[in-house]
Amino acid sequence: MSAIHPKITDVLISTFKVPAAEILPDSTMDSLEMDSLAVAEFAVIIKEKLGVDAGSDRLYKDATLADITRFIDETVGGVATANGEAAMSNPR
Amino acid sequence: MNRPAVVVTGLGMITPAGNDTETTWHGVCSGVSRARTVPELEGCEIDFACTVSGIDLDEAVGGRTAFRMGKYVKFAVLAAQEAVADAGLDPADWDGSRVAVVVGTSSGGSAGLTEQAVALDRRGPEATSPSGILLTIPNMPAAEIAIRMRATGPSMAPCTACSSGATALSVARDLLVTGQCDIAIAGATESIVFPVAMTGFARSGAAARRDGEPARLCRPFSADRAGLVMGEGAALMVLERGTTPGLGARRREHCSRARGPPPTPTIPPARIRPAPWPGLPSRRHCATRAGGPRTSNTSTRTARRHRWAMPPKQPSSAGSIRTGRPSPLPKACWATAWGQPEPSRPG
Repeated sequence: MSAIHPKITDVLISTFKVPAAEILPDSTMDSLEMDSLAVAEFAVIIKEKLGVDAGSDRLYKDATLADITRFIDETVGGVATANGEAAMSNPR
Repeated sequence: MNRPAVVVTGLGMITPAGNDTETTWHGVCSGVSRARTVPELEGCEIDFACTVSGIDLDEAVGGRTAFRMGKYVKFAVLAAQEAVADAGLDPADWDGSRVAVVVGTSSGGSAGLTEQAVALDRRGPEATSPSGILLTIPNMPAAEIAIRMRATGPSMAPCTACSSGATALSVARDLLVTGQCDIAIAGATESIVFPVAMTGFARSGAAARRDGEPARLCRPFSADRAGLVMGEGAALMVLERGTTPGLGARRREHCSRARGPPPTPTIPPARIRPAPWPGLPSRRHCATRAGGPRTSNTSTRTARRHRWAMPPKQPSSAGSIRTGRPSPLPKACWATAWGQPEPSRPG
């Protein structure tokens, strides 16, 4: 899957002022210069907007945006499995 | 003790009257009140104020850090950027360990704290922001400026209510005179136009009550003044010792780059009455109703004691509020704030 969840793009652009051109499926929070506080804030906003609860350290730190998208889609679709989490915790 | 003169080399402002120093100056000189109904205050006893408008603060601040800044921090960051550029300085070039940042605030991020308290109460801890503390504490304007500008000298936030800005300038002056820094970015920032604070001002009786059009309520020097009309914004200066090597050359370059004389602003004389006292009363005290329980002459006494904080006397050609004659934009030349005029002047 190469698409990025629209809410991820929306939050990165509107809240964190990440230039749209830098938001690519294989971008990570690190490559987008999101520090640990920014990632924690990102996790809270995603939870508020989508109801997807993902601990910032465990799930967002090394995941690509494509990984995060997959996790969100699976969780929102009610098919969150250990599989989805495994994909998220894979370091790049 | 021989104290070196301290000079103002840069100005930066963001206010309800304008989003930089020049537009603020013209906005002030136009004599038009910026007080208006504020939608966020709907239902409050005081539902009007003077607010900063016409700017996307997050966009202007930029970077990945705006999310962790309250409005009071964003104001200060923008004013600092303008002041440093106005001084002809570039943080990429300076020795940051010799740069101090002293930015006062009266209530810091009390608006942010309130928001977080409501989130915690209504939706639980997981709804609160991980940046909650940074959105709240009063030193963040100075801290964010220091981080951005790599200013690793003294960094602090005087908190002395309405005189926080004057205190910041005084502290910065002392840091310069005692050689603890070579450059000081100093001033104050405030943003408390939110229901809790505005209700507090209403409850204490300090605020002007709605009485017709809000734009007519702010008349701080008038005998029939109605009370405080809240504003928001930041104003910062860059201060340096007048003996700083190269200051004269930098100033000459700065002045040669400066714009020509601005269009003459006019003050409608009828809108402004003479000040009833000669001091420099703080914003709140000069607006608080005369003779009321909250009126104090403390600020007038303070102004007399700290007369050095007054702007330098203008040449006789300069205008004044009393006469209604327009004043030139102060930005065009660097003012001497304390001590003797700086030794080198532009040719």
